[in-house]
Amino acid sequence: MNKRKQGAATRTTRRGRAAKTPGAETEHKSASGTFAVAAECTVADAGTLKSGLAKLLDDTGVVTLDIGSVQRIDTAGLQVIATFVRERESLGRQVEWRGAAPSLAAAAKLLGLSSLLKLPTPAARAVETAS
Amino acid sequence: MTIDLTQFHDAFFEESFEALDSMEAALLKLDIGAPEPELINTIFRVAHSIKGGSATFGFSDIASFTHSCETLLDELRSGGMQVSLDISDLLLKTVDVMRAMLRSTQSKQPLDMQRVSDIQFDVELMIAQKNAAGPGNAPAKPAAVAPVAVAPPPAPARAPEPVSVAATPMVAAVAKHWEISFRPYRELFARGNDPLRMMRELAELGELKVEVDTSALPAFAALDAQSCYLAWKLELAGDVTEDAIKQVFEWAEGDCDLDLRLVGAETTAAPVVAAATASAPAEVAASNIVADAILSGNTSPLGIPSPPLGVPSLTAQSLAARSPAAEVPKHEPSAPAAAAAAPTAAAPTLTAVPSAKQDASIGAVGDSGSIRVSVEKIDELMNTVGELVITQAMLSQLGAVLEGTNAEKLRAGLAQLERNTRELQESVMRVRMLPISFVFSRFPRMVRDIAQRLGKQIDLKLTGEQTELDKTVLEKIGDPLVHLVRNSIDHGIEMPDVRIAAGKGAAGTVHLDACHRGGNIAVEVSDDGGGLDKDRILAKAKQRGLVGQNDVLTDEQIHDLIFLPGFSTAEKTTDLSGRGVGMDVVRRNVKELGGKIELRSERGKGSRFIITLPLTLAIVDGQSVAVGSETYIIPLISIVESMRLKETSISRLSGHNEVFSFRGDYLPIIRLHELFGVEPRARALHEGLVVIAEGDGRRVGLFVDDLLGQQQVVIKSLEANYGHVEGVSGATILGDGSVALILDVAGIIHAASMRATERPATERSAKEPPAGAREAPVGAAA
Repeated sequence: MNKRKQGAATRTTRRGRAAKTPGAETEHKSASGTFAVAAECTVADAGTLKSGLAKLLDDTGVVTLDIGSVQRIDTAGLQVIATFVRERESLGRQVEWRGAAPSLAAAAKLLGLSSLLKLPTPAARAVETAS
Repeated sequence: MTIDLTQFHDAFFEESFEALDSMEAALLKLDIGAPEPELINTIFRVAHSIKGGSATFGFSDIASFTHSCETLLDELRSGGMQVSLDISDLLLKTVDVMRAMLRSTQSKQPLDMQRVSDIQFDVELMIAQKNAAGPGNAPAKPAAVAPVAVAPPPAPARAPEPVSVAATPMVAAVAKHWEISFRPYRELFARGNDPLRMMRELAELGELKVEVDTSALPAFAALDAQSCYLAWKLELAGDVTEDAIKQVFEWAEGDCDLDLRLVGAETTAAPVVAAATASAPAEVAASNIVADAILSGNTSPLGIPSPPLGVPSLTAQSLAARSPAAEVPKHEPSAPAAAAAAPTAAAPTLTAVPSAKQDASIGAVGDSGSIRVSVEKIDELMNTVGELVITQAMLSQLGAVLEGTNAEKLRAGLAQLERNTRELQESVMRVRMLPISFVFSRFPRMVRDIAQRLGKQIDLKLTGEQTELDKTVLEKIGDPLVHLVRNSIDHGIEMPDVRIAAGKGAAGTVHLDACHRGGNIAVEVSDDGGGLDKDRILAKAKQRGLVGQNDVLTDEQIHDLIFLPGFSTAEKTTDLSGRGVGMDVVRRNVKELGGKIELRSERGKGSRFIITLPLTLAIVDGQSVAVGSETYIIPLISIVESMRLKETSISRLSGHNEVFSFRGDYLPIIRLHELFGVEPRARALHEGLVVIAEGDGRRVGLFVDDLLGQQQVVIKSLEANYGHVEGVSGATILGDGSVALILDVAGIIHAASMRATERPATERSAKEPPAGAREAPVGAAA
């Protein structure tokens, strides 16, 4: 998978807001079928998130979404991820999850998107209890 | 402002019926024991969308019933229950009931509610039994959902209660709750609103059940990350005021469609209440999917002791949490539920913005890239195109004789017009074409049912399902095929022990096949059963006096007997067959469609019924022939070839009968001018032409003056405009505006043989049926 040049470019143009968690990882990384979802997945980041995921859409292998570092996510962010997962699924391609993001899981649940995303709850729970 | 939902009813019914068909098909494909998840999903989706639609339109009994089905299906989907033969049978019955309910609602006819509640009871019993088997078997899925929803950090105001998945909807189903339809506009995000925040706040107000509608989500590539495509249907239970809810959505006002409704327990007519309350417990299981998120903020004051029935989706943990109630999993329409049902009335709807609720059920289909058009509109279009074809033919004829400087240009234009007209005509025809699978699809279920009832084993084989034919033909061929398939199973296929004794496999095969053959469609129903018992048929026919005692009949003639009205060799009449109505109706229906039916059968090996049908009833490729001053159209499919006869090849038999030799065969000559009473230009056979035509399996030579040309003609019904004329299947308008009759070769052969027998009546024995007063139709009857 190629590296996020385009994603970074969009990011700089979109980034107008300063309300970032200090020190948080804001880059969406993509390497060899794995995509690290950034800490911030709000409406302001959704465009970047989308273009990052777009590169993985046609990946014939298993795509792993690493959500371990997600701290903030809103409906727009989750909508992008849900659309991605749904489309992968409809193409018969797998999406796997790595890490756990309580905020993401909670948001998915509140928005009724859990079953679509098929998040690995046991892992989430484990992390939850650990923290 | 309210929207009149009745305008969507038709679409709802139509879609529901189609969905039920696909549900039935999927059910039949389910492998017992190892079902394919996608099939179960398909089945589930149907139940779910019908439930949603019927609830939207206020068909509460349908919604309640489908809800129960959905619960059962969800158990199958989540793996909580295995697909057994019982379950698939039961689900097939639910399809029937849903169909019946929809139909009765559509036609506003009363329905056998007893059957509905019986089946619904069965469904719930099935679920209850599963529960009785022990919650230990419960699927892991709810457990998986349960622990997630711990308040995320940014929502400090959130109530600290742990989330309980299953405990809530039971209350929600019985007690009053808010139904909130929340459909944001695309720009909701851009205005700084986040539905997530609203959900969070709602979850704090009471128990929230969230159902997301993702139908508007575009493909990933087309997704605008800043636009909101999602919509939600929420159920909020608890003591919540309308103002409190409105406050949550305050900031989104103007950026969404919001519909608030306070819903009590179902309030419907007596039998429906019974059904509705019975279904209430079933809510629980369904909540797994419909409601991903059930969050208990404040415990509801309406916490009626939940009927223990609904335990399916409870997990070990949640069971422990609400232990005392959960002990007695037994099916019993709950008294509290009924009690709660009684006094509540549905509260008035409060519509914030004109509701777009119906979109959920109707708009959901929008992505299939097709539109629904009424058949009348297409017929109208077809008719207009037909007229256009006539006009075009008229212009072409005129153009051919024009002379002058621009005549050539005109002719080029006319040629193009002709091409375009033909293309247009073909396109319109294609619109009317549907794959025959529309008819075939009803058979798997039917075969299964009949086979079960008769204790036979039947493999149904369907091939050529994609063969397309005209919708009108399609509609009319369904019943004849049903008759034939039933006959094959009832009379054709033997009982398993008989089959094994005869050295065949225990399971008989019924094969339905469709294919294009020339300009026609051939539909074949064949079986590998016992074949026709010719001796028995003949004996029966003699006993009935249909055949003389000493007559010797060919195989074809014996086969033909079964098509006679009232003819049956069945020993006893069953509800399947044996009444003697059927085969004659089959043949009549097929003939009405301009088709023919053939039967081939071999004793011990099986039978084959071959139905040949025209592709369409609207247009026919015809050869126009001249007889005197009249023009007739002979359908090209009936024509074998045309030739000029030599005097030497003609022989005259006794009376007026003339035959000619054609490739070693002698064919009778029918003089069309005599048959139709037209003054011909050619009387001597060698002066005119003979068109060798085929009808009803017989060949004849039709004597005409001349061949004029081949053209597609639009069939105008003679029956509709005038009356039935033997030997004529319809009429058409020619390019010059005159009317030409379209000949029905089989009818002509029949009419001619009648005349032949009429004339020398004195010489012939009385064996022939007395020929009634049969007028020879004259010229242009239309």
